[in-house]
Amino acid sequence: MNREETEMISRCQQGDQEALKEIFEKYHKKVYRIAYGVVRQREEALDVVQEVFIKLFRSVKNFKGRSHFYTYLYRMVMNTAIDHKRKAGKQFMSSLDEEGSFEPSDEAEKGPERILLQKELEERVKLAMDKLPAEQRAALIFRDVEGLSYQEMAEAMGCSIGTVMSRLHYGRKRMQDSLKDYVKLPGQSRGTSAVS
Amino acid sequence: MKNSCSSVSTVLEKYFDLEVTDEERFLVEGHLQDCPACRDALKSMEELRTLMKVPVEEAVRKEDFPWVWQKIEREIRLQKQRTWWESLRSWLDITPLFRRKVWIPAVATAAVLLFFSTQIIFKKTLSYPDVTVVEYVESQTDNVMVYQLEDPKVTVIWLFEGPEEEPTTT
Repeated sequence: MNREETEMISRCQQGDQEALKEIFEKYHKKVYRIAYGVVRQREEALDVVQEVFIKLFRSVKNFKGRSHFYTYLYRMVMNTAIDHKRKAGKQFMSSLDEEGSFEPSDEAEKGPERILLQKELEERVKLAMDKLPAEQRAALIFRDVEGLSYQEMAEAMGCSIGTVMSRLHYGRKRMQDSLKDYVKLPGQSRGTSAVS
Repeated sequence: MKNSCSSVSTVLEKYFDLEVTDEERFLVEGHLQDCPACRDALKSMEELRTLMKVPVEEAVRKEDFPWVWQKIEREIRLQKQRTWWESLRSWLDITPLFRRKVWIPAVATAAVLLFFSTQIIFKKTLSYPDVTVVEYVESQTDNVMVYQLEDPKVTVIWLFEGPEEEPTTT
């Protein structure tokens, strides 16, 4: 944690709203990535982002600086997102017509089959993620979406590096099984090619 | 094939996550040259990562975050307004003095005490509650006061002839 960030957090701990804005400027995309990774729906992810920063403003005085600030924040995001999802009780059964993640301009450039496949794939990924235990989902998002190191993940998840590796391993294995039609498994030929 | 797949598989995932030591990296890369199955395993992990990451990045790219900040700011402001009143209420709730079980009997006792104490005070100050002063004249040597008693109906003229002398009544 550099001096500038320490000072920013300290001001926020004293109730300075401008300092919170600076923290927001610095971390909002990361927070959104994790939130979206868990809930996989735009509106819900935005609600999580909002809730996290309001919560942070209230509870940042409890941050003692024993760990990195971002791992403290990521932990808060992950817990909030999982809670949010649990409360909402959504099972990711949204239809393909629901708000998509692709703009019309993007879609116009792609063929209709490709768009359908892409949306179907997104739904499949949502469902597969949803089936994972919260810890494995968290591990995959921290590593594969946010790009945290094992050490940072261990801090954010409050566990050992060995546990992090195990969660990643089993999480990936489950995801590969759920998405076997889209992801080429070792020694297998896949039914449908992945779209990226 | 320099090493068996089983000996490499334990570090393959670490290799994919860029968490290997130089020695482990050397071992995996040597093995990958001759092992299509492990190359497939790596590719599979890469595809899975792309599947999870791409929609998230798309969503981030399209989001209007200044608007999110405005919502956060507004909510904090609202909470601050609520907090003033709620903190007072919660203080009243947690302070033993203001718990209902305490303050209702306390207020009742105070009211009874106030009632009796006013009775005592007024009795002391008004020794003649039925007296009406009609006239009071004061000179350098004498003072005269005329007053009426209501019950019995009597008019009293009170003459003070000197400061040290007892008054004489008529």
